[in-house]
Amino acid sequence: MDTHTHIVRLERVSKIYHQGKIAVHAVDNLDLEIDVGDFCTLCGPSGSGKTTVLNMIGGLDVPTSGHIYLEDRKLATLNRSQLSRLRRDRIGFVFQAYNLIPVMTAYENAEFVLRLQGQPETQCRERVMAILKEVGLEGLEHRRPDEMSGGQQQRVAIARAIVTNPAVVLADEPTANVDSVTAGALLDLMQKLNEENNITFLFSTHDQRVMDRARRLIRLRDGKIEYDDVRSLPG
Amino acid sequence: MRLMTLAARNVVRNWRRSIVTTGAMAFAAAIMILFASLMAGLLRDSERNAVTMNLGDLQIHASGYRDDPDLYKRIDDAQQLVARLQQQGFHASQRLYGFGLAAAGTTSAGVQLRGVDIDNENSVTQMHRHLVAGEWLTETDPHGVIIGRKLARSLGVRTGDEIIFVGQASDGSMANDLYRVRGILKSIGEEVDRAGLFMTLDAFRQLMVLPDGAHEIAVLRANPDSDLDLALHTVTALAPGYETLDWRQLSPVVARILEMADVQTIVMVIITYIAVATIVLNAMLMSVFERIQEFGVMKAVGVTPWQIFGLVYLETLWQTATAATGGSVIGYAIAVYYQTHGIDLSNIASSASFGGIALDPLWRAYITADSIVIPVLFLFLIAGLAVIYPALKAALIRPVSAIHHR
Ligand SMILES: Nc1ncnc2c1ncn2[C@@H]1O[C@H](COP(=O)(O)OP(=O)(O)OP(=O)(O)O)[C@@H](O)[C@H]1O
Ligand SMILES: [Mg+2]
Repeated sequence: MDTHTHIVRLERVSKIYHQGKIAVHAVDNLDLEIDVGDFCTLCGPSGSGKTTVLNMIGGLDVPTSGHIYLEDRKLATLNRSQLSRLRRDRIGFVFQAYNLIPVMTAYENAEFVLRLQGQPETQCRERVMAILKEVGLEGLEHRRPDEMSGGQQQRVAIARAIVTNPAVVLADEPTANVDSVTAGALLDLMQKLNEENNITFLFSTHDQRVMDRARRLIRLRDGKIEYDDVRSLPG
Repeated sequence: MRLMTLAARNVVRNWRRSIVTTGAMAFAAAIMILFASLMAGLLRDSERNAVTMNLGDLQIHASGYRDDPDLYKRIDDAQQLVARLQQQGFHASQRLYGFGLAAAGTTSAGVQLRGVDIDNENSVTQMHRHLVAGEWLTETDPHGVIIGRKLARSLGVRTGDEIIFVGQASDGSMANDLYRVRGILKSIGEEVDRAGLFMTLDAFRQLMVLPDGAHEIAVLRANPDSDLDLALHTVTALAPGYETLDWRQLSPVVARILEMADVQTIVMVIITYIAVATIVLNAMLMSVFERIQEFGVMKAVGVTPWQIFGLVYLETLWQTATAATGGSVIGYAIAVYYQTHGIDLSNIASSASFGGIALDPLWRAYITADSIVIPVLFLFLIAGLAVIYPALKAALIRPVSAIHHR
């Protein structure tokens, strides 16, 4: 098996939640491989397991059975602090909402993970400024989250996610809380970052327009893959 | 951004709650500083009173006199010793003691006779200022005596009344004479109040046929804040062959009560701060629960549980430090006021006493390093303990449930 092009690999992964006496198979015996440079969309009805899959890949949740590999490291073998470090250094997260630390400016939020890595302030500066410019926030560096629109906030979250050069950016419904124009713009941004910087994206969505633009569309139903479709997109 | 800065901003973010929490802590600290300095004032006054109303800082006796107060166990070179002590900067005064019976009209009572060196006693004790009636002893009135207030009551005498003393002089002869009550003492202490009969040293020497020597030399440091142990050491060296004791050894019960008062202060501080701890615990729990999603995101992007714990801890530390500073300044200012003006207790109690020592009815605060350090230190300690639970709560939040917490 050629593991090198697979940045993420799931092997027979299941996640069972127990709600009282009922066992919910949130993810059911799932096999999945994500390649370097993928721009990959998870879709499916509510409750189909999209969030659970993303959380398990990000080491925020552990599978009931099966194995997850990130850059060939088996997540189950890592302890808590190793997982913390892995998330900090190799994964970028974008959530649906409340992504940012409210008391920090756009610049500080984007810089946050770099500083967690222990990089000196002066060294971060150039990179953070460049990335903020890239996500279209030039001039808004000193705004706090409550002084920015939802779309601008998500741009900061994307900037924070990619600033560390992660192996993969995991985004759980990143456009769910913004209007469709903004959603389109965010998608353009992610697509651009994917194409120009070869950053791997894996995100979930309910939004038909987002699905339409995915290069690889994975549809889940009841924790299983209904179909996994690699398409060549127009443009 | 540093954790410190982030914590400070979080404190400012919810400034209303921070002000309430910080204000409560500052208020408690200020009150405790005032309380501690009032306690320190009470202690110092009690100590000063024990010392300046009767005991002196130190006393010199012939060895064995204290166990068996015998008329013959005297300090023979008392006069020279007093001079030597005065040369070294101490205040010192000779005292003579005898026992006998005092009678007025048909009543009589056992008395402790005291010969007072009126030239020097004033510099050692403040007894001469502590009269309820009449005047202090004077050389020109050798038959005028001062008596304790309870003795005056039991003999049924007032100033100007006559009393007869009967006892045995040092030569074995009968010592008796007629005296006039010149003054009556305020409360000094149980022994003096009940049996004290004071006369001039010369009058005593004549009555008891004791031409020289003294039973006791009371010594006072010129500077009350200088080291007592050092003074004890110096005076002991100046009076070889005699027994020199400091007031703590002379009056161990009082010394013990004063020592205990420190513990009382700490207990009081802790009890008060438990209320503060509840406020801190409550406020920080609220603040943590409001930010569950935020902590979840932080943990998702790689902040460790310890860093979250540290963040919540620092937020409390900032508030505590602010409260400690503000509380100290306010507490100090109020304590300074009561150190200069005191609280007038004369309306409440005519004679206050503490551990058998009469107290000044003006209760003054006394600011010591401890009366500030102890409240501040315990504030940090208690706040630090109270925030452990909220900080752990924040640190142990599981990011998955936190991010999807609504
Ligand atoms: N913490 C949990 N405890 C119990 N059941 C859970 C938990 N999290 C998810 N589930 C269940 O697992 C299943 C998959 O949930 P998941 O959140 O992954 O779905 P989703 O595809 O992200 O849905 P949505 O589109 O609504 O976000 C659902 O049936 C859900 O009820
Ligand atoms: Mg979901």
